[in-house]
Amino acid sequence: MRKDFVTRILRYALALAAVVVAVAPVYWMMTISLKKEIDQFSMPPKWVAFNPTLAHYADAFGTRSFGQYLLTSVIVSLLATACAMLLGTLAAYALSHFRLPRRLDKHFALWILSTRMFPPIVTVIPLFLMMRDVRLLDTRLSLVIVYTAFNLPFVVWMMRGFFGEIPRELEEAARVDGDSRLGALWRVVLPLVAPGLAATAVFCLIISWNEFLFALVLTQTDAAMTLPVGIAGRVTQYEIKWGVMSAAATVAMMPILVFALAVQRYLVRGLSLGAVKG
Amino acid sequence: MQRLHGNNSFSSGGERALPFLLLAPTLLVLLALSIYPLVYAVRVSLQTGTGAGARWSLDNFTRLFSDGFFLSALLHTLVYAVVALSFEFLLGLLLAVLLNQEMRGRSVFRAALLVPMMLPSVVVGVVWRLALNPNFGAINGTLKSLGLNTESLTWTASPRLAFLSVIAVDVWQWMPFVFLILLAGLQAIPQEPYEAARIDGSSTWQTFRYITLPLLKPAILIVLLLRTMDLLRVFDQIFILTEGGPGFATETISLYIYRAAFRFGNFGYAAAMSFVLLIVTNAISLVYIRLLQKQETA
Repeated sequence: MRKDFVTRILRYALALAAVVVAVAPVYWMMTISLKKEIDQFSMPPKWVAFNPTLAHYADAFGTRSFGQYLLTSVIVSLLATACAMLLGTLAAYALSHFRLPRRLDKHFALWILSTRMFPPIVTVIPLFLMMRDVRLLDTRLSLVIVYTAFNLPFVVWMMRGFFGEIPRELEEAARVDGDSRLGALWRVVLPLVAPGLAATAVFCLIISWNEFLFALVLTQTDAAMTLPVGIAGRVTQYEIKWGVMSAAATVAMMPILVFALAVQRYLVRGLSLGAVKG
Repeated sequence: MQRLHGNNSFSSGGERALPFLLLAPTLLVLLALSIYPLVYAVRVSLQTGTGAGARWSLDNFTRLFSDGFFLSALLHTLVYAVVALSFEFLLGLLLAVLLNQEMRGRSVFRAALLVPMMLPSVVVGVVWRLALNPNFGAINGTLKSLGLNTESLTWTASPRLAFLSVIAVDVWQWMPFVFLILLAGLQAIPQEPYEAARIDGSSTWQTFRYITLPLLKPAILIVLLLRTMDLLRVFDQIFILTEGGPGFATETISLYIYRAAFRFGNFGYAAAMSFVLLIVTNAISLVYIRLLQKQETA
């Protein structure tokens, strides 16, 4: 009994320590974004007691260009997610509900997955040169195109898993009722995988929103920069406005935290590309 | 398209073509934006000189072996991957095993642990630049208020500490990922073998060694595979935290390739280096995949 009690205390202490380590640095950055400059780096550090101000947010998104970066991030993420979901869902349906000759379905699925295994630095060099050749460098369009390709294998694998869980009898019943194959997909199958569709789309949004290397390489000016690149460009300069940086970073992180909470149930599955069903 | 007519049970020709029509856009996009770029990169890496003066040669590849920057970046990457992976795996496994029990507030705990790994890497960079700043950062500030001398703790400003710092940040961000996948794996293990072990009077260690570990092996292999691939290609956090510095102390392969291509415009050489990274990554992941397949057939 005593031993049980001790292990329980230990377990809670460990859980608490892990949470503090995970969250405290992020919380600290958020306080910097809300502190007046005089409080920001006072010693000893002020963790709770300070007078909050929104001046850094107004500065970052009102007077500086972070508002524009934010808009680019929103547009690019939404468009890339929509394109990848449309194409990838159709492909996933083909791979899960049709038997192709010579096991082509298996080969295609693995080939699609393998394109996601390349380290990004390998493809970013030729993609930069290709975008330069077609004069798309420094445009939002180039990012939408690249992120669509980036998200596609993910959508195909996730949706293939979700489609695979739908009993085929349901679809066959719809076809007996006179629906065409695509009619059955639209009226019967898609509504059944709606939660899977939503989770997959949210993952695509997260991936596109967080992406850094391609946006860094493919864009150069305020007109096409995403929020992460805009922040990185300022943070590596010497004179750092920490309040402004923290405000921009806080805004960059908020939608992601909301999204992550929304797909918590599917997180394990999404993060392991469907390999582990959590 | 002639292959369609093989062993296929669908009746009409339209039905037979349908899966290929549905697949075509995805396959085309991936051909154009994943496969063609690789071919393009091979061509670039096999050429030296530009424009009319370009000629075919293996110079970009032979140069690799005598480039000190490349070799040290390779070494940095391997050390970084091995050290970070060890810590992430051991800590993640420990947490997962200890918390694989009903306990109050576990969902809150899980949600809080998700925060680091979901963050955009840029935000991770800003968070840790703030926390690790030697003069006004939260870490040295807290240590100072506890009465400790922090003068020698310059973190990202000294070469050796900088390397440890970027590794620590990686562990901070990705240990929760290992934890989450392993916890899911643990929860999928059935209860019966544990009950049998209890009846046999096995010790906690024996139960862990001979029941938990073997049954957890598929999840372990998947998490190691995914982490290894990500660690070998690491770029974002280091770029924002240290830009590979001070000096070149934290420059990994991806950072050096970036520098060669986009600072010096040496695309051919950068492409050649990126193929070395691709081959190393693929060779290592192939080992994991073989192990996984063996696991499945066993």
